[in-house]
Amino acid sequence: MGATTMKTRNGARRLLCGLAATFALLAATEKSAEAQEILLTGPLAGAPAVRKLRLYREGRFEVAPAISFTLLDEYQRTILFGARLNYNFTDWLALGVWGGFGGVKIPTALSDEIQGVNERRGCRDGNGNITRLDTDCRLTAVNMGPDFKDQLGSLDWVAAPQVTAVPFRGKLALFQSIYVDTDLYFFLGPAFVGLSERKECDPGSGTDCSTPDAFKKESRVAIAPTFGLGFAFYVNKWNAVGFEWRGLPYSWNTGGFDTKGGGKDKEFPDNRISADDQQFRFNQMLTISYNLYFPQNYRVSE
Amino acid sequence: MKNTRIGLFAAALLCVAPGLTWAQQKKPAAEEKAPAEGAAGEGAAGEGAEGEGEGGEGIPGDELPEGLPGGEGLGDICQIDPAACPKLDMDKEAEKDLKEQIYAVQQIFALRVRRFEVNPYWGVTLNDQFVSHPGPGIALNYYITNVLAVGLNGQYYRPFNVDSEFNAQVRRSARVGVPLTEYDWAAALNFTYVPAYGKFAGFQDFIFHYDAYVVGGVGAISTRPIPVIDPDNRNFEFEPKLAFNAGIGLRIFFNRWFAAVLEVRDYVFNDKLENTACGRNNVDCGSQLPASELQDKDTWFGESRLTNNVQAQIGFSIFLPFSFEYRLPK
Repeated sequence: MGATTMKTRNGARRLLCGLAATFALLAATEKSAEAQEILLTGPLAGAPAVRKLRLYREGRFEVAPAISFTLLDEYQRTILFGARLNYNFTDWLALGVWGGFGGVKIPTALSDEIQGVNERRGCRDGNGNITRLDTDCRLTAVNMGPDFKDQLGSLDWVAAPQVTAVPFRGKLALFQSIYVDTDLYFFLGPAFVGLSERKECDPGSGTDCSTPDAFKKESRVAIAPTFGLGFAFYVNKWNAVGFEWRGLPYSWNTGGFDTKGGGKDKEFPDNRISADDQQFRFNQMLTISYNLYFPQNYRVSE
Repeated sequence: MKNTRIGLFAAALLCVAPGLTWAQQKKPAAEEKAPAEGAAGEGAAGEGAEGEGEGGEGIPGDELPEGLPGGEGLGDICQIDPAACPKLDMDKEAEKDLKEQIYAVQQIFALRVRRFEVNPYWGVTLNDQFVSHPGPGIALNYYITNVLAVGLNGQYYRPFNVDSEFNAQVRRSARVGVPLTEYDWAAALNFTYVPAYGKFAGFQDFIFHYDAYVVGGVGAISTRPIPVIDPDNRNFEFEPKLAFNAGIGLRIFFNRWFAAVLEVRDYVFNDKLENTACGRNNVDCGSQLPASELQDKDTWFGESRLTNNVQAQIGFSIFLPFSFEYRLPK
């Protein structure tokens, strides 16, 4: 037992020594590889990090036609067509607005699957009225309308005033032959989101949620924070290509289902469609834009 | 022993010697002024910039072209062979535009060639709304050239699969069961190509370097269905499947051997899904079927589907060895 303890202690000591030696080695080696430290004491000491910087943004308007694609949608994808308008007060700060119109809506494979099952069940007749009362039809009467795709929540438009900060400016070399000026920016602001969702219904107040009329949709405007980051790759003095990721979190009823509102903590269905059925989603989208800057000439820093 | 001491002393002397050449100390004001005076031709022998004859060693002033520096250099050529004496108008030459060649990226900050890259990361699912598959992973690469590497990567998923609440809601609301899959591990042999690199100035104050790469490879991923259609009778085992992958990544260097890495990679494989029906005749699972038929493993699997597991991989890279030498000076 004693010998075992001693061996363990020796092992631990060796391990500690090994770790200490490794860290010492790392520290020593790091010194020789540290980047550009000589500049601090060399002839460039005190000089700015960048001279003759092309100020692509300062004092210029940005008009950027854009196309956005939603990500991680459960039932329906949306393609938004829109634009970003910015005025750049400085090279690193801009104020503007981004907006888009949900021009294309594409149901996901899951929606197709659900509608396929819905059709095979045949719970409703040609007018959308329930004609069968077996278990499946009875239990889905509130949730499954004549065509599932018609009851899906949709993103119709977005308008977002936003502040843009551009902390990083640089250049990118492609295949060691093409060089493009690039910047990385972050933005933040409130967003006004136009949505169409299944309208509210409540059997208690005389609106049956299983009738065809109860599956119609109505519009509302959600207010949500929006934020994200993007890259601009400058093609010439006044043109750039932009890629952007945007987060747009808000609550909505994407499937037109009754999922919440009853039972303990309202965690169970209550046979009503209400605001309780709007669930929080971290909505995301990718945007591709073509940015135009006016006036067409930029200033160059000292 | 004595030789060793001498050797060490010589080595120390060598280390110190370059330090002596670093500093270009400012010349005294009088010395700085002298050439200017010489240029004005006020008798600074041998240093007359205009070569008016006073400084030229035996070269008659009127034989020198106008504007040619006198003294040594071109003056010697003129002395040896007057026919070969360059006839340059220095004033005109000085007015010409400089065509100085400046490279956009003069020296790559961190060379990768013949270095190993160790890249631990955390993977996050980007495209599966039903089951997320986060997990730790590690990639090891060896750079054959500065832009091409061969390597391996692996990821462990098993304890981290998360079945979303959304699945239960769909089952309850629409009475539709969606086949679900969980992952155990994945491993792949990869090739990495680095076509793009660059640098960013942060707040116009500090500079950091980055590169962008594409990666692709082949390997295996071990998966199994999560039983949702008939969970009372079905219990699946993990099985490895052939998987191809492709992705893009961004590496931001903090120094010449340490970098943050963000990668998006798509692992594509043919997944075997749970059968949405039951029994040998594929009937509704609510039907009364004998237990022996429900527990027959041959009836558990349904269709095979090409599956894309797109994931973001966030981690850091350590390049070994830590230091390297440039082939050419800056």
